[in-house]
Amino acid sequence: MQRLAEIHVPEDLLASARAGDREARRALFEQVAPGALAIIRRLVRHRAMADDLLQDTLIAMFEHIAEFRGEAPFGIWVHRIAVSRCLMAFRSPWQRARVALESWTEEAPSAPDSEARNGDLIDLDRALARLSPVTRTVVWLFDVEGWSHEEIAQAFDRTVSFSKSQLARGHARLRNELLGPMTAGLGIPLRSEIDGQ
Amino acid sequence: MDSEDSRDHELVARLKRLDAGGAGLTPGFDYDQMLERHAAGVARARRGHRAARGAAVALLAVLVGASVWRLEERVATDEVVAEAFETQAPTQRPRIVRADTYLAVAALEDHIAGLDDALNYARASGGTAEVARLERTRAELVASYTQLRYAERVSATF
Repeated sequence: MQRLAEIHVPEDLLASARAGDREARRALFEQVAPGALAIIRRLVRHRAMADDLLQDTLIAMFEHIAEFRGEAPFGIWVHRIAVSRCLMAFRSPWQRARVALESWTEEAPSAPDSEARNGDLIDLDRALARLSPVTRTVVWLFDVEGWSHEEIAQAFDRTVSFSKSQLARGHARLRNELLGPMTAGLGIPLRSEIDGQ
Repeated sequence: MDSEDSRDHELVARLKRLDAGGAGLTPGFDYDQMLERHAAGVARARRGHRAARGAAVALLAVLVGASVWRLEERVATDEVVAEAFETQAPTQRPRIVRADTYLAVAALEDHIAGLDDALNYARASGGTAEVARLERTRAELVASYTQLRYAERVSATF
């Protein structure tokens, strides 16, 4: 699957989508939606919530497509929108309650894709799922998406040390989970972790 | 520290493999369904706003109504009280009178002193029943005297 940041959208398709051409917009949707869903599902494990956030992301993309000036690749622009929607969801008290509740009700958050072929990766995916949404997002953005601490701090509207401490905490918890899954916690995030403090 | 760093590097490598190994995800809706979902969400939000606005207006009306009702009731009650007051004879009206405690205190002190004399005489003459009666009366007077003096102290502080 092509990563969202690597997606290349032809300029004429973008121009048609900007002009409101329905078919161009449908084509853009088909090109961007899987990659956007992949990053959203990495950060938000719940399927229905991820679908809601994907819809928000894509609607925002179409609403603001006229503002896209092409300074960065289109995929990166959409990626930023998707991450920002996820962070907004984490900040929302209603969504926080939903996440906390789902930590109790969802026994094992399903892997977002079929990487479950590899046992080593299954463990890692489960360990990631046990992290709080905020810590998981920081780990994923820093380690996989290549964001800097400054960029993460800006996205969260927090300090650089917040990003560093969340990353250190995330790594420590992942190591613990992978070394001794039986001794790991129940995976229920503490309130401070949900709040990102 | 080095081993922690190397473990972190290993962890990052595994995370990247996890990302690379991910198969394609398909959204639970296509473009047209997304527009329908969005339109339904907007309509639901509008209905919610309308309901909230209606509830707020109703609550405001109830509050204003209750305030007016209470105001009218209070005015009416005040008028009734004023009329009743006017119709009362001057002697029936409640009055607040300030009275000095000096005379009461002096009278009590005199009375207690007189009882002390009577007690001395009764004890000397051997009348036990009379002594007991006088002691009871003296105890009551001393209690009254104490209360009066306390009231004086309290009123002096206001």
